[in-house]
Amino acid sequence: MIALPASAGFTPPSPADFWQPLIGDGAFAVTRPMVVMVLTTAAICLVLVLATKKLSLVPSRGQWALEGVYGLVRNSVGRDIIGAARVRPYIGFLFAIFTLVLVNNLMGITPVVQYPTFSRIGFPIVLAIAVWLVYIAAHVRHNGVGGTLKHLVPPGLPFAAVPVVFVLELLTFLVIRPLTLALRLFGNMFAGHMLLLLFALGGEYMLLHGGFPLNVVALPTFLIYFFLTAFEILISFLQAYVFVLLTSLYIAEVYAGDH
Amino acid sequence: MTPVLAAEEGFWATAYPVLPHPGELLIGTICFAVLLFVAYRTVVPRLETMLAQRQAAIQGGMEKAEKAQAEAEAALEEYRAQLADARAEAARIREEARSEGAKIIAEMRDRASSEAERITESAGRQVEAERLAAVTSLRTELGGLATQLAGRIVGEALTDSARQSRIVERFLTELEQSSPEDVRASATTVEPTTSAAPAGPSSGGAHRVP
Amino acid sequence: MDGITGSLGIVGYGLSAIGPGVGVGLIFAAYVSGVARQPEARGMLQTIAILGFVLCEQFAIFGIALAFVFGGL
Repeated sequence: MIALPASAGFTPPSPADFWQPLIGDGAFAVTRPMVVMVLTTAAICLVLVLATKKLSLVPSRGQWALEGVYGLVRNSVGRDIIGAARVRPYIGFLFAIFTLVLVNNLMGITPVVQYPTFSRIGFPIVLAIAVWLVYIAAHVRHNGVGGTLKHLVPPGLPFAAVPVVFVLELLTFLVIRPLTLALRLFGNMFAGHMLLLLFALGGEYMLLHGGFPLNVVALPTFLIYFFLTAFEILISFLQAYVFVLLTSLYIAEVYAGDH
Repeated sequence: MTPVLAAEEGFWATAYPVLPHPGELLIGTICFAVLLFVAYRTVVPRLETMLAQRQAAIQGGMEKAEKAQAEAEAALEEYRAQLADARAEAARIREEARSEGAKIIAEMRDRASSEAERITESAGRQVEAERLAAVTSLRTELGGLATQLAGRIVGEALTDSARQSRIVERFLTELEQSSPEDVRASATTVEPTTSAAPAGPSSGGAHRVP
Repeated sequence: MDGITGSLGIVGYGLSAIGPGVGVGLIFAAYVSGVARQPEARGMLQTIAILGFVLCEQFAIFGIALAFVFGGL
């Protein structure tokens, strides 16, 4: 981080700001994102179970919203990419990922909570490993180990290129995909929240401690902060959407050789 | 990175942000597992059942709507057929009425003309009868007057009835023969319709008054 | 405290963000012209554009992660 000139006592936000242990310290400390995660999961489960308790054919407003989210995952992502015949066993998986990511991302701009859970790498890694396990299991079950390995090399390749491509594809298949999945979500949330922190803290510092010329600049800083908050909402949706989109793309690859 | 803070807060505060915290990994796994369980156990089956039902309902509704439309079309067809029938019936009735009316008018005209004929005939007959009566009385009176006048002039009493009637007869014959054409012309102007009346010129002409 | 102190890693991240920035711009330019030419293909293009955007953006995101990883060096 670039420090401000020495005269300023401003401490810019750093990754250390994301470490917020509530109980204890160390590898198994109870941290703030853990609490947020548990609470959001409980809330999602509760809302989903209660909302689906009395489903009617003619939806109420709440049911309509739920169906909108469900339809987005089921139809726009799952059915269009995996295919209507194959998507049924994966709907729950995709839906769980989507709701969890979306709600937790939105927690980053929810007042009081204001902590995007997925800006801690541990949580995206869990999701990425789950996706990884699912698509590898689907591959092996559907194509067999040999079929899966053969599938990695596109047909019609010159013989000399096969080993190189195979290694690269295997690396992509086993390492890069889950890594990018996890890092993308983490990076977006982390960087986005860092920006918000920077503008909030910087604006506050300039307003309260900056003296005459700086506290005038505080106003545009806060304006940018609000703009970024709106942008963060967009990013939250986009990242949740992208996560399930890529997941279904990886799953759809399993059945790519069928036709 | 601020090493000062890091020293105060321990390893995890300064750890690379890409290093997963084991506690968070654990909690993340548990939370995701719970959510997956809820999704597969409750949410997705319920929503899928509802969606299937809705689709069935929509299809049923469409079938019903199709049936209703077919029924409506059949009713419309029937109604149109009835309307066409009614129109043909009305046209037929109108035609009938028209022809009947024409018939009635012709009949009426016939009846009127025959009535008029009858009236004119009876009027002609009455006139004839009255004329006959007038001619008879005139003849008697004229004969009387003539004989009286002649007797007075001649000076002889023409009391003898046979002679008297002969004289009158002769007088009248002479009178008739003096202008027979005038008599006939006047007779035709008096009775234009009755052609049968002046059939016998001699016998009829004998009764004509000039 | 003279001059500017800080991490070169962040400067490196700034440099590494140029490429993805150009890439994302190209992707959305292509998306816009594609939709302008064929508005009915919007839904399909949208998915592809977002996919491309994500695949391009991930390098910037890796950059920020690596900037923090090597920032302490």
